Amino acid sequence: MLEIRNLHATVGGKAILKGVDLSVGAGEIHAIMGPNGAGKSTLGNVIAGREGYEVTEGEVLYKGRNLLDLEPEDRACEGLFLAFQYPVEIPGVNNTYFLRAALNAQRKYRGEPELDSMQFLKLVREKLEILHIGDDLLHRAVNEGFSGGEKKRNEIFQMAVLEPSLAILDETDSGLDIDALRLVADGVNRLRGEDRSMIVVTHYQRLLDHIVPDQVHVLADGKIVASGGPDLALKLEEQGYTWLEQGGIQPLQPELRA
Amino acid sequence: MSALAQQWSEAFHSGGGPAGPAWLDDIRLRAVEQLNEHGLPQRKTEAWKYTPMRALEAMNPAIRGLEERLAESGAEAVVRPGDLLESPDGIIDILDGRLAGRSCGRPGVSIVPLRQGLELYETRLRRHVETVDISGSTRAFAALNTAFLENGVVIHIDSQVDAGSMLLRWGFSSQAEAGMHNSRVFLLLEPGARLHLTEQFDESSSAGQALNVISHLELGEAAVLDHVYVQKEPENTVLISTSQVTIAADCRYSYAGFDLGGGLVRHELQAEFAGAGAHAAFMGAFVLDNQRHVDNHISVDHAVAGCSSEQFFRGVLGGRSRGVFNGRALIRAGADGSSVRQSNANLLLSGLAEMDTKPELEIYADEVEASHGATVGQLDELAVFYLRSRGLSESAARRMLTGAFCHAVTDRMDQAGLAARVADLIDEAMPSDSPE
Repeated sequence: MLEIRNLHATVGGKAILKGVDLSVGAGEIHAIMGPNGAGKSTLGNVIAGREGYEVTEGEVLYKGRNLLDLEPEDRACEGLFLAFQYPVEIPGVNNTYFLRAALNAQRKYRGEPELDSMQFLKLVREKLEILHIGDDLLHRAVNEGFSGGEKKRNEIFQMAVLEPSLAILDETDSGLDIDALRLVADGVNRLRGEDRSMIVVTHYQRLLDHIVPDQVHVLADGKIVASGGPDLALKLEEQGYTWLEQGGIQPLQPELRA
Repeated sequence: MSALAQQWSEAFHSGGGPAGPAWLDDIRLRAVEQLNEHGLPQRKTEAWKYTPMRALEAMNPAIRGLEERLAESGAEAVVRPGDLLESPDGIIDILDGRLAGRSCGRPGVSIVPLRQGLELYETRLRRHVETVDISGSTRAFAALNTAFLENGVVIHIDSQVDAGSMLLRWGFSSQAEAGMHNSRVFLLLEPGARLHLTEQFDESSSAGQALNVISHLELGEAAVLDHVYVQKEPENTVLISTSQVTIAADCRYSYAGFDLGGGLVRHELQAEFAGAGAHAAFMGAFVLDNQRHVDNHISVDHAVAGCSSEQFFRGVLGGRSRGVFNGRALIRAGADGSSVRQSNANLLLSGLAEMDTKPELEIYADEVEASHGATVGQLDELAVFYLRSRGLSESAARRMLTGAFCHAVTDRMDQAGLAARVADLIDEAMPSDSPE
């Protein structure tokens, strides 16, 4: 599904990613953890195609194609979805209107007929039911005045409607209380599927209690320095990242991974 | 001094000027003298320093509307496809500044050509005419309008009458030559009268026309006027308008003006509160591209206590366009309990576009609530990326965001159907180009 090879990227001339290798198979969930400033969000932004994030080396293959050649909207139309760490407030644009325009843009790209407002509303109701969330988000402007929890729920709702094949959840747990976290995690779990891969970027292990990943990677100073199963996350939670930086266990040493 | 002003003055003296009633003759003469002496506003004329006259001077329009003096008619006006209102209760057609057609189904509402109105309502109209400042180059267009004061319309609504909705259609007869058309509108709402007035421009307007309008809106006690103005004229149209609004106690006046076209457009809205408990809202949005220019000069005089006013304007500027917002509110000594809110936000879509915005709050009373804010910025690139990351093309994302920016104005309108219609027109007017 996704193949990242030796990815280097700079932001404002500063090197952030310094050779990331990552391979995500269809239907897999990978968690990326790491200390502040490690480059976790940069990785998500580079994959989604945000301006100002310059790839200086390496490649990102998505379904066998070079993802970096595509405009952000074409990446989305090809089935990529980034759940933002800080979802953007867009005053004056109704959430339903926006999402229908986005879905129809994607359908048009794929040569599928666009949905009229009745068909779209039916789809939206189904998704809300699957996610167990109310319809109050529909009538408001995109993220405007939303609480932290509502914003993250709105991201998951958008993901449910757009049905991506690869979703990157960028610190979707940050700023959420325990109940909101569970709600969002439940939503994500309901969207798990054989042909949907996910990359879950998080600081904390607690999200991974709810969304159990297939693999956990540790990103530090722009590189994946360790990879393992879900127990790696537990170990990190216990010992902290400093333990990792001091050498930690064998697989954490990058030269041994090569 | 300018050649154009001189040319218009000569047209007045060479017999092209209007005649009667007698009380107007001196006023007209004084006006044409002012025009001839001071000419059009120059760059050094403070209130006009951002408003270039060169487009008008290049157009060099001759005075029109006088030669067809007899053509002013009471022809029955009907709704046309594309009108902003589907079933207005009244329609007024003004062609080249002259009343060319009307219809009104409601009792208590009368619509008469200006010449007839000048006799019917002499005392009141005279009072309004005499309040118009015509001195100096700052007031050149008011002087011009006054010198040629003859064409236009008087709308009168009886006390306590709900006149429903009225559509005022401005148009130009197709003529190859550029023309300067002067027109005067009097809208007299007796106490308790209510009206929704929507002004639009006909699609058929021909090229190179200038329209110079002065409107007198008189709201009697507890009258309600909901006033909407929409224009999407071609770039070689010049629109100069001055509205003088007098607002009695307990009135509601709302203006929502949308400039989605035109080459050189300037609106001066001057409102004065004459009794307590009244509210006036001035809203508007403009969308400009190429070398278009739109000015909005709002001036609200809180001459009495206990009134509130708001100004809410949004502008989107692309190409080499230029916008001006000047929002003045004067709260006089003793006008306690006044409230003034002002907001002007603008988006520059191009590095060559320019916006000049100037809030002016002058407060001489103690117990007052006042706020103002003015911003000039660019589209939030993170918001553009957010929309693109969901599959919208860059141009669709930009149009959605700039449209939403202006919909903040239509969202404040009372008439939902009309607001939706205007919102669509705004979206259509959006320049689709990216900032480069």
